[in-house]
Amino acid sequence: MSAPDASPSGSGGARDKEPGGEARRLFGEYAADPAFYDEMFDESGVPRPHCRVLWETLDAMPGAEIGAMQERAERSFLREGVTFAVYGEEGAHERIIPIDFLPRILNALEWDFLERGLRQRLTALNLFLADVYGPARILGDGVVPVDLVRGCPQYRIEMRGVEVPHGTYVSVCGTDLVRTHEGFMVLEDNLRVPSGVSYMLANRRAVKTSLRDLFRRYAVRGIEHYGQLLRQTLAELAPPGVSDPCIVLLTPGVYNSAFYEHMFLAREMGVELVEGGDLLVHNGFVYMRTTDGLRRVDVVYRRIDDDFVDPLAFRSDSQLGVPGLFHSYRLGRVTIANAPGTGVADDKSVYYYVPDIIRYYLGEEPLLPNVETHLCRDPRSLEYTLDNLDRLVVKMVGESGGYGMLVGPHSTASERAAYAEQVRANPSNFVSQPTLDLSCAPCLSDDGAVPRHVDLRPFILCGRETRLVPGAFCRVALKPGSLVVNSSQGGGGKDLWVLADQGESAGETAP
Amino acid sequence: MLSRNAQGLYWMSRYLQRAEHGCRLLADQFLSLEDRPVAEIERSWRRIYAGLGRSPLVGDLESGVESEGFMLADAYTLADELSFEPENPDAIRSCVAAARENARQVRTAIGQDMWSCLNVAYLGLRDVRIEDIWNHQPREFYLRTEDALRTFSGIADSTMYRDHGWSFLELGRFVERVQLVAALVDAQVALFPTSEAHAESDWGSLLGVCQARVAFRRLHSFQYGPALVVDFLVSDMRLSHSIRHALERIAEQLRAVASRRESAAGLAAQRRVGRIAARLDYDWPYRDPEDDASTRAVLGEIRDACRLLHADIESAYFSYAIEDSPRP
Repeated sequence: MSAPDASPSGSGGARDKEPGGEARRLFGEYAADPAFYDEMFDESGVPRPHCRVLWETLDAMPGAEIGAMQERAERSFLREGVTFAVYGEEGAHERIIPIDFLPRILNALEWDFLERGLRQRLTALNLFLADVYGPARILGDGVVPVDLVRGCPQYRIEMRGVEVPHGTYVSVCGTDLVRTHEGFMVLEDNLRVPSGVSYMLANRRAVKTSLRDLFRRYAVRGIEHYGQLLRQTLAELAPPGVSDPCIVLLTPGVYNSAFYEHMFLAREMGVELVEGGDLLVHNGFVYMRTTDGLRRVDVVYRRIDDDFVDPLAFRSDSQLGVPGLFHSYRLGRVTIANAPGTGVADDKSVYYYVPDIIRYYLGEEPLLPNVETHLCRDPRSLEYTLDNLDRLVVKMVGESGGYGMLVGPHSTASERAAYAEQVRANPSNFVSQPTLDLSCAPCLSDDGAVPRHVDLRPFILCGRETRLVPGAFCRVALKPGSLVVNSSQGGGGKDLWVLADQGESAGETAP
Repeated sequence: MLSRNAQGLYWMSRYLQRAEHGCRLLADQFLSLEDRPVAEIERSWRRIYAGLGRSPLVGDLESGVESEGFMLADAYTLADELSFEPENPDAIRSCVAAARENARQVRTAIGQDMWSCLNVAYLGLRDVRIEDIWNHQPREFYLRTEDALRTFSGIADSTMYRDHGWSFLELGRFVERVQLVAALVDAQVALFPTSEAHAESDWGSLLGVCQARVAFRRLHSFQYGPALVVDFLVSDMRLSHSIRHALERIAEQLRAVASRRESAAGLAAQRRVGRIAARLDYDWPYRDPEDDASTRAVLGEIRDACRLLHADIESAYFSYAIEDSPRP
């Protein structure tokens, strides 16, 4: 095979031939650091059974061909405009999200375990939200401290007593999972407006095209029906009595970092992508302005934060929302998904209690463990945190997207001193965690494959029932050694292949 | 269809029409630069600017220029301004960028193919400078750009679902076309009075810019009589770039979007187009074709009507008041 349309000197990691004319092998100089779990190789440097075929195939490919594939993937992202803006960066709102071309593989056993753990967790979190905004038994029983919940900035007192269809507060959840030598752990639950699913699908499309043969040899499970599942989920959440609901996706607009995703999902679902100005509330019902007059809206999949959803209910200076939307929601005439106030359950100090929350509502042991967390509101934890700043990761409880975070081992003494000031001033606003030994996966670079830290964000949907596609947005820290994978901090993504089997016989079943 | 999407499609289409027109004007201008006398070229720049309702950013055009060198320097600056000048909203690149920005906002209403085509066309233009094309067949550049934009129209034509989205795309295209052709013909008549002895190339090039040269030749051979040319561009129903044809297409799409609701502004739009069309059908043929003032008066009426039509469309479909919507 050859790729005549590729320029050999592009940025896509095309590897030159060695001076002798002998092509370098992709994994020739791959040096896995034993401190981290490697997704492809075991401790002795041998490819894991389900990665063997992938390794063999890629390693035997001429460097120019792999470089050409990487470039083709990047070009298709540019043409299609697969963007994720990094605020404050030059050329901002149209930054193409970086894609790394080498897929990461999970076998059926690994995925089945994750899937069960994710379902369990989301079920418990929805029960928790229904309880917190309802009878508040868990607070009365002292399992989660009252002040922690009621004092959380994401707690919406306006949600007390609101009837939520099927008790589903969180209908779209994006859970961040990491793997260390000890196994998988939940790093964060994203229960407000998680993004990334479109990049999962875009990565798949780009990689599948180029690695067609390999893709066929592995029994990779499909993820392309995500849009259909999302629509089905949202339809199930329509107000009672509405049989053919009109669903819309509410976006803050083209300048939002995830606008590409909003557009993509609206198109996949076949629903209108609306901005606040397109909607209005009249006699308690929500309408959108169409060329045929006003049309009633039943379900709003909003990609706007709680604060901005309705200037009459929340932040009055919001230009993005719809005045009166929340009132209509309280009357049960429209559904807002995710429900306002879900942020109380993904707050970084409530996170500490999620294993207890699972035990409390489901009477089961949590399948997926949390990362060890210290709440600085507790004086002993505060002391521990301040004493070990150089080894810990410290986060603000209400923040997401990697903002306001200190990564101890990668910080300078003066950064730590400044951060310690902030922590002392308001301890309850901070939690600390050990610096995680995030697993590594091979990524393409100018020097062949190199290890980079990765995590994964699967998306779990919940309407009348819970659904998920076997896949995830696999995030990559593109800078050598960096542990920060967040897209808003410049991270990239790679395709994640979930197999229908153990993947060990992929070679033999070649068509 | 969501009003904001309809509006986005309408504007996208207008900008693209404007960009295409700009490409044709400049391609034609570079053709005259090859062999026409300086005075003629200078008048032709004047026609372009008058047709766009602009004056050059550098100030007034020098009149009575004799020197070839000066003319080329002028051409360089003017072509730059009309193609790439960021301060000029009517520059070709500005129009393509504005069209793409609208397309980005309405990507759920257009196909992936349409978006990619326009995106690639824009990316191809984004970093071009006048010095890059000046010494390398500049005319080729304009033809190529026009081609890319027409490919977009072709994809739209062959892939779009014929709902309101299509109608507003067509409305944008033809409302803009009426404006551009009316303004250009008006500028032509003002600069090249029909009674004056004329260079055939002046009127031939007008036909060229309006994609009418071959059709005209088949009807009238090489008789580039000014009155014949004007009449052809204004009233020939079968000519895609004629005003009369564009009005017909506008009327058609106004009926299509009004089929399910009749609003006062929607009806006003239909009546406005009908009145102008009737004026061209019943009055225009009986005017004195040598009377430039009356020709220009009719063109002025058309342009005014078009501006009001635009406002009617805005208030009927894009930003109507709640009371004007059919009872939900």
